[in-house]
Amino acid sequence: MTSKDLVLESAADRTTRFERDALVFTNQLYAAALRYTKNPEDARDLVQDTYLKAFTSFHQFEEGTNLRAWLYRVLTTTFINSYRKGQRQPLIADNELEDWQVAKAQSHTSDQGKSAETVALESLPDSDIKRALQEIPEEFRMVVYLADVEGFSYKEIAEIVGAPAGTVMSRLHRGRKQLREKLTDYAKELGYSTESSDKPSSKKGVNK
Amino acid sequence: MSFIEIQCSEVLSSVIFIIEDELETVPQAAQINSHLTHCAPCTAEIEHERLMHQMLADVLKRSCNEQAPEELRQNIHRQIREQMGNYAGATEVVTQFSMTEISIEVDEFGNVEHREIQIEQTHIQHFIDDED
Repeated sequence: MTSKDLVLESAADRTTRFERDALVFTNQLYAAALRYTKNPEDARDLVQDTYLKAFTSFHQFEEGTNLRAWLYRVLTTTFINSYRKGQRQPLIADNELEDWQVAKAQSHTSDQGKSAETVALESLPDSDIKRALQEIPEEFRMVVYLADVEGFSYKEIAEIVGAPAGTVMSRLHRGRKQLREKLTDYAKELGYSTESSDKPSSKKGVNK
Repeated sequence: MSFIEIQCSEVLSSVIFIIEDELETVPQAAQINSHLTHCAPCTAEIEHERLMHQMLADVLKRSCNEQAPEELRQNIHRQIREQMGNYAGATEVVTQFSMTEISIEVDEFGNVEHREIQIEQTHIQHFIDDED
């Protein structure tokens, strides 16, 4: 029988390691928290709570695995468990996957539709992009943000939000679609021309 | 053709899987690929979807890049240090025990049976250091 003692690390060493490795994501987590909570005060509290929770369970984090994904999981579960309760968000029905598959009697997008989308994405300012993101349902907003801003794979997102991968795919699809529709609507309201996509700055009055 | 042709609508409903490079997870992946080799409108649609996806990701990245306020950074740092105070001087010692049991049996026909069993056990202890 053999036995060996491994002195892992002191609390001070662990703290230093945590501050060195985890705090570099503060800006990113804050931007994500703004999308989740929709206001700066709650976003600040959420990021602070997230770091505190992550720190106290840091010994459970396996070194060598993805620390950024782990922090996002802590952020997301903290948000779902503590912050969302007060907001009373209507939740999406459980059968969203079937719903999505049935509702997709899709046809090809017209050229006009395509150019309207292109113009919207080319012309709209950041404030409109953020407004559109705020207006889509929370479940969609989270996965679109995690995929398209943070670049997580849909499998990583499934772990972060605690949902099956198929559900994540469905939310990603519907979230992006709704976002694009909203942006196209904004662009129309603002009178961005859809006929000449090469001249997005030529404004046309909204016809009544 | 060994398989049944599929409709454009079925291809279009799998766009997300194509965009995410996960088409192989779709049961009709082969039919979809075959459809795309001869259907120009579907190919154009996928092309458009890819472009829109890239543009959407770009505008989202550009728009959502807020900086955390300095006050937040300081609060996090302070809270972590306070929390560390609760474990100050604690050292974690992990003891790993391992034992290998080896048995060799020779039966009446001279067949040798050799078995090795590895037994492992881990024990974690927290020590609070006395120094102040």
